[in-house]
Amino acid sequence: MRSLAEMKIPIGPQHPALKEPVGFMVNVEGERIKSLDLDVSYNHRGIEKGVEQRDFNQSLYLIERICGICSHAHATNFVKGVEELMNLEIPKRATYIRLIVGELERIHSHYLWVGVAGHEIGFDTLFMYTWRDRELVQDLLEIISGNRVNYAINCLGGVRRDLSEKTINLALDHLKKLGERAIYYTRLATTEETMVGRLAGVGKLSHEKAKTLGSVGPTARGSGVDSDVRRDDPYLAYADVPFKVITANNCDVLGRTIVRAGELAQSIEMTKWALENLPPGEIKKAPPRSAPPGEVISRYEAPRGELVHYIKSNNTDKAERFGVRTPTMANWPSVVEGLTGQNIADIPIVVAAIDPCLSCTSRTTFVDTDSRKSWVWNWDELRNYSIRWYRENKGIYWGD
Amino acid sequence: MDAWLVFLYVLVFPGIFFLLGYSFFAEWFDRKMYAKMQNRVGPPLVQPFADFIKLLSKEDIMPEGVEAKPYNVLPLFAFAAVATSFIYIPTFMSSSPVGFQGDLLLVLYMLTLPTIILFLVGWYSHNTFATIGAYRAVSQLFVYEVPLFIAALGPALWVKSWSVSDIVSWQQGNPWLFLIQPLGFIIAIICLQAKLERIPFDIPEAETEIVGGPLVEYSGRKLALFRIATDMLMVTGASLIAALFLGGPSVGFSLDSLPFWAAGVIGFVAFLLKTLLIVFLLSFIRAAFARLRIDQMTSFGWKWLASLALFQLFLVIGMRMVVQ
Amino acid sequence: MTRPGAAFSELLRSLTKRSATVLYPYEKVDVPSDFRGRIEVRDDLCIGCSKCAIACPADAIEMAAEKGEKKIKYGGKEIPRKKHPEVNLLSCIRCDVCEEVCPTAPKAIYITAKFSGASDKNVILVVPTVP
Repeated sequence: MRSLAEMKIPIGPQHPALKEPVGFMVNVEGERIKSLDLDVSYNHRGIEKGVEQRDFNQSLYLIERICGICSHAHATNFVKGVEELMNLEIPKRATYIRLIVGELERIHSHYLWVGVAGHEIGFDTLFMYTWRDRELVQDLLEIISGNRVNYAINCLGGVRRDLSEKTINLALDHLKKLGERAIYYTRLATTEETMVGRLAGVGKLSHEKAKTLGSVGPTARGSGVDSDVRRDDPYLAYADVPFKVITANNCDVLGRTIVRAGELAQSIEMTKWALENLPPGEIKKAPPRSAPPGEVISRYEAPRGELVHYIKSNNTDKAERFGVRTPTMANWPSVVEGLTGQNIADIPIVVAAIDPCLSCTSRTTFVDTDSRKSWVWNWDELRNYSIRWYRENKGIYWGD
Repeated sequence: MDAWLVFLYVLVFPGIFFLLGYSFFAEWFDRKMYAKMQNRVGPPLVQPFADFIKLLSKEDIMPEGVEAKPYNVLPLFAFAAVATSFIYIPTFMSSSPVGFQGDLLLVLYMLTLPTIILFLVGWYSHNTFATIGAYRAVSQLFVYEVPLFIAALGPALWVKSWSVSDIVSWQQGNPWLFLIQPLGFIIAIICLQAKLERIPFDIPEAETEIVGGPLVEYSGRKLALFRIATDMLMVTGASLIAALFLGGPSVGFSLDSLPFWAAGVIGFVAFLLKTLLIVFLLSFIRAAFARLRIDQMTSFGWKWLASLALFQLFLVIGMRMVVQ
Repeated sequence: MTRPGAAFSELLRSLTKRSATVLYPYEKVDVPSDFRGRIEVRDDLCIGCSKCAIACPADAIEMAAEKGEKKIKYGGKEIPRKKHPEVNLLSCIRCDVCEEVCPTAPKAIYITAKFSGASDKNVILVVPTVP
């Protein structure tokens, strides 16, 4: 029996709470959410196909543009995967420079997130303050790489630009200021009563659910799951740099806020250490023309979580197949879990708490160029198709 | 007073024209202070007027299936309610020429009308977001109206009159009422922020949650009317609190020795400064907090605002009996 | 320990500080000297080898045929240039790979720090010029 207050609200694909298109159809009763349906297939761009037609160096610039905020993460992940396929050992100075730019990107991403979270709960002052301080990181990245976004500092075999003495001193000076501001924002986020009232107890995700739903990054670490690719599977120079993995046991949005604030402080310390201990030497090494046949899975701890690239090579200078599993894709189910039973007022902050980057959400879509139609499959159709394919083509039955 | 003077008072100064101009100025002041507190530049002085003119020139869209008459007429009601209540508040003299016993209640009731109209507007818009905004507006109304009325009751009990003009005249030679009833003053400001539906109480119009709340379907002239009604509500509310607690146009000493026009100018300047101070306090509150949820608002309102307002009321009654 | 008003002191302090906004375009924005801005080509150095057009990830460079005779000094000899690059600025992603692969010294195709400039055309071609 439907009560009078039951409604179906469409949140998205166009909505002021969302920075990019994603669709929710929310069933509410009064202010309480009873269930929600998620639709993420709005942003397909065909990058995986595009990489198959470009050689490694050119596809590097395409992959860098999968996302604006994690652009260095994607580029570095791809290039270190290809270097692994080619058995190419790059100079140590290059790994340090990649690490420095990667950590600066994490600092910039977490500052951005604090601002966006503030805006979603109506605290526009926090938004303005954090984005003003983020300009320090952007200026630094501009001096290091020549651009504020899409740094293009990677090349196959190393990095393209070196850090001069003047840049290092300027960076250390800016990092000191950023560290002081990070302490202030951490204090503000955990003591301002109206803000904590909106963050605490919202978007609950228990430790077990975080593991079964496959959450990664600060979303999982905010529920006590202790996993970080930088420590579990060290790449670049992370084996040398001392750092701690921050976890929180709140299992809600406040936990994720605490994790991100802690990671901000840790990244600032790591960047300082890397800048002070930069090894001398070359910054790049000439790569071979083509990659021997093989497959590689390359993992990277992007600001949003674990990023996985799959690259298959076949003795040419192009990738035969390229697959991306972004952290945001792994975190969407936790949004559905975290919003069931909560209020409408919590939708923006719970969605923002996984730090969604819709540009990073992989999706598949079907296009029929003759009839000019396009459609998507839902999870069940995809699963049934894969069971059928394996049964018919490989004689293996996965179904239950 | 002569009939044509009353006409001038109601229509020009401090009637509709002055109220419109001052509302634009107050909105600019609010936005500029808000921006400065956030380390930004803020809009230029003509921005609110430019926004108003721009909205007037936009297309007026009415959604399908909406009843035309209430949809078109409701913004006018809101505008009229707020404009009418302003003339009872003294702005440069110690009393208003149209004041009467009981006009405090009239002003308070007229200032409640815009929220009820917001609910009706949300209901008539046939839009999910507007409906949610509408019921949130009414839920919020129940929470803050009680403390606001009780806080406004304090000065009325102290001065033993139901007329705003009498309360202002009493503060001419006596200490201003915010010194005697500071708790009532603070509660009145918080409840005014809730009435204006600004952060931390902008739950009905939560931009990131329900897009625009009840006004989501309005555009063009009707939206312009609503926005100017909200600005006028801010000015009227600030003037009411200035009149009740800060003495309105009165300064600390008596101005009977000066000619009428000089006393008027000084009183007017005092009135402007006091209302701008209250607008600054409202901007400060707007910048300092995050938005509350409706259930947090309800618990905050009843736990703190209403109980403190009752406490202040008992204090006033007790002190009055002692002073008697 | 939560309390309301944790942001109060910062708000009041900000009232007296200069605003953090850069009033662009009335105020100029400083960019570092190696900022990746617009591409320019030098007519007196380019030998028309097409390496930049092949390497460009965004396919923004097209080699156009040279009209008339053009001889460029390169490696101590005078060689004829048969084609020259034309860069579509609106497709260029400012990655600077063309400058890296260019064989001449000083580079015939190079990046500048100029970043501003709006246009109402949908193709902006940069052709070789003499600086």
